[in-house]
Amino acid sequence: MTATAPARGGGTLAGTGSLVRLMLRRDRVKLPSWILGISLFWLYYTRLVPKAYPTRSDLDAIVSMMGGAAGRMWTGPTYFLDNMTYETFIPAAYGGYLILVIVLMSILLMVRHTRVEEQTGRAELVRASVVGRHAPLTAALMVALIANAAVAVLVALMMIADPVFSTGGSLLFAAGCFATGIAFAGLTAVIVQVAEYSRTATSLAAGLGLGGAFLIKGLGDMGHEHGTLLSWFSPMAWPQQTAPFVLDRWWPLAFSLAFAVVTIALGYALSARRDVGAGLIAPRAGRARAAGWLGTPIGLAWRLERRAILWWALGLGFLGMAMGAFAERAVPGEMPEALLQVLGGAENITAGYLAYMGIFMATIVAVYAVLAMQGLRAEEAGGRGEPVLASAVSRWSWLGASVLVGAAGVVIIMAVAGAATGLGAASALGDNSLIWDVTAAHLNHAPPVLVVLGVAALLFGLLPRATGAAWAVVVYGFMVGTFGALMELPDVAFDLSPFEHAARMPLEEFELAPIVVLLAVAGFLTVAGLVGFRRRDLDIT
Amino acid sequence: MTNVIETTGLVKDFGKVRALDGLDLSVARGEVHGFLGPNGAGKTTTIRVLLGLLHADAGKATLLGGDPWNDAVALHRTIAYVPGDVELWPNLTGGEAIDLLGRLRGGLDMARRDEFVERFDLDPTKKGRTYSKGNRQKVALISALASDAELLLLDEPTAGLDPLMEAVFQEVIRDMKAEGRTVLLSSHILAQVEVLADRISIIRLGKVVESGTLKDLRHLTRTTFTVETARPADAISQLPGVFNYELTDGQARFDVDAEHVGLVVEALAALGVRAITSRPPTLEQLLLRHYGDEMTGHSGERAEVAR
Repeated sequence: MTATAPARGGGTLAGTGSLVRLMLRRDRVKLPSWILGISLFWLYYTRLVPKAYPTRSDLDAIVSMMGGAAGRMWTGPTYFLDNMTYETFIPAAYGGYLILVIVLMSILLMVRHTRVEEQTGRAELVRASVVGRHAPLTAALMVALIANAAVAVLVALMMIADPVFSTGGSLLFAAGCFATGIAFAGLTAVIVQVAEYSRTATSLAAGLGLGGAFLIKGLGDMGHEHGTLLSWFSPMAWPQQTAPFVLDRWWPLAFSLAFAVVTIALGYALSARRDVGAGLIAPRAGRARAAGWLGTPIGLAWRLERRAILWWALGLGFLGMAMGAFAERAVPGEMPEALLQVLGGAENITAGYLAYMGIFMATIVAVYAVLAMQGLRAEEAGGRGEPVLASAVSRWSWLGASVLVGAAGVVIIMAVAGAATGLGAASALGDNSLIWDVTAAHLNHAPPVLVVLGVAALLFGLLPRATGAAWAVVVYGFMVGTFGALMELPDVAFDLSPFEHAARMPLEEFELAPIVVLLAVAGFLTVAGLVGFRRRDLDIT
Repeated sequence: MTNVIETTGLVKDFGKVRALDGLDLSVARGEVHGFLGPNGAGKTTTIRVLLGLLHADAGKATLLGGDPWNDAVALHRTIAYVPGDVELWPNLTGGEAIDLLGRLRGGLDMARRDEFVERFDLDPTKKGRTYSKGNRQKVALISALASDAELLLLDEPTAGLDPLMEAVFQEVIRDMKAEGRTVLLSSHILAQVEVLADRISIIRLGKVVESGTLKDLRHLTRTTFTVETARPADAISQLPGVFNYELTDGQARFDVDAEHVGLVVEALAALGVRAITSRPPTLEQLLLRHYGDEMTGHSGERAEVAR
């Protein structure tokens, strides 16, 4: 996998070939993992769907859920409705997510090989040798090309090998993946010129670029089953507008390629106008003095976490709104048996669905809880905890403040997600009392998340380098929550998951006892973590 | 005079590696104490034990009359610390970090803070991630110096500062001493400590191997001369206190014990000096000369002990 240097004889592209080889060498584990991971993800979905929804009525039922406006918002245009088969349905329902992951790979790859290199100063070293001005960007783009081509070829081969899919449509679908990956590589090539810091570049490309494109496509597709004019403004919409296996039209990909060409050209133009290491947006100056509240361990923990809490609340609020609106589609007769079981039976399917949303949100917010404690671990390992603990701040108050702020974050995010889900459900079903009911139901599921936070705090206190092991609880809870009922697991398997104990409101009545026990467990774990942290050495790497 | 820092037989192991190996250190009240040793000798580990961030495996440490591990918080109110590698929060400005660390210690004198920001020529409005190493160090220094701490623990505080700022730093430390504060100043460069320290402790392989005033340690210092003379300089090699005499291309090169420098200079004058350079010994030379035999074979392994 080497590329030939296009610039023999020097010039602005000198050294591109060597740089491509260097990048591939440095990514020799990361890139194949992405490529294989993405391909296996797709293989899994294409093979799983026919097994999970074996009959025609199962398929019809799931389509009745996904075919509405809310469904289109999350999946895309529904060209398959006239001719419903696995071949037309699977790419339309899950293809958008495949492309999402491919785009993410492209963005991270581009930022990693351009802005991160400049930020660390390694680019300076490289540029000082016989390497042309445009060589690093060109090399990064070529690596992106190679990676996207590899994914596209694997996806195409897997689909062609599958009797479900026709060859022409498979090729078109894979080409859509490729073109969109390249389009976003181009967009990232522009963004890395603008932002001076890799984290800013990643946030801009993934948040504003990918998130924005996904949102525009979603809003556009809500309007009509084939999408609306608004959809066409999103690079994420173009591959889906090719309607593979239905219309099989190639021309929307011309938009993707044009987008790629324009952004790449713009990236080169901008890169020629700036110095190595500099951005086009100057970093903003901040305040010369700290605000009055920034002077306690709690103040510091809040300052470090508040942005994450805000973004999590916004993101899950948005997700909750859409999932709440989905509640109107939760009708017993139209639902596959497997799904019904997860939602707690057919008697009160709406309440069952909303109750399930609470558990689902709790597992997602548990991700935040683990990340918060991993953030504190990064503070310790990165040497930022040392000066704090060398001041008049005790071990207890440093860790305690972080746990407290993390717990507050969990409650805030759950409350916002619950209120948003309730709002979505209330507007879809025309029942305003749902807003409060669903908010309360979500808050009822905050204590299990606090248990996860406690597990992470305990690990931090006793085995700081293993703080990430708390992920196991989240993954286990998610597996039991989604597949437990289908797999007919024994009761003890459910009891081990913290998420399975709180009452399933609004399906069930509120119960105090499990909440008290969960809070006690969370408290005990945290105190054990505090005691452990008080007794161990600070571990600075 | 009472001792502000007193450790006896301090031992600290990281896995199989012994970072501190029976360390005895005493620092008297009101003195600037140079804590000198090559990289990896155990300076930072000692300071972290003194701060209660690490728990010693054996030995005893007393800090301002208290126990660094058990009385950490109470002691820290009267201690200011500047780490060797200052890491700042990427999205907090330098000014915010100064205030935050000062307040966490129990408050800082805002007038002094502003004065030091000025003197060290720091832009406090920039975000932590945009500062160079030297500027990050200034942030920690300003926060420490603007406090009313009795004891300053400074771990290689000038490593990233330019010479101009180092001069400012030396001025400030003299002011601190005049105010009666105690300073433990760690460094691996002898010249940096020489100008400020009343007493010096030299640490090597986790042990203090020499301790005393600069005068006490004079016997350790040996100056290297390179001279070009009108008449052959071979007679110099016969003088007392002259070592390692070498003659190449008419240039003589030799080391002289501090106490014999005067005599050698007189002798040189008589030979008609055309060019002369003299160089004070580096810490490494010094340690190598006194402990050369033991150091070989151990130094590499020790150097890997993280600070």
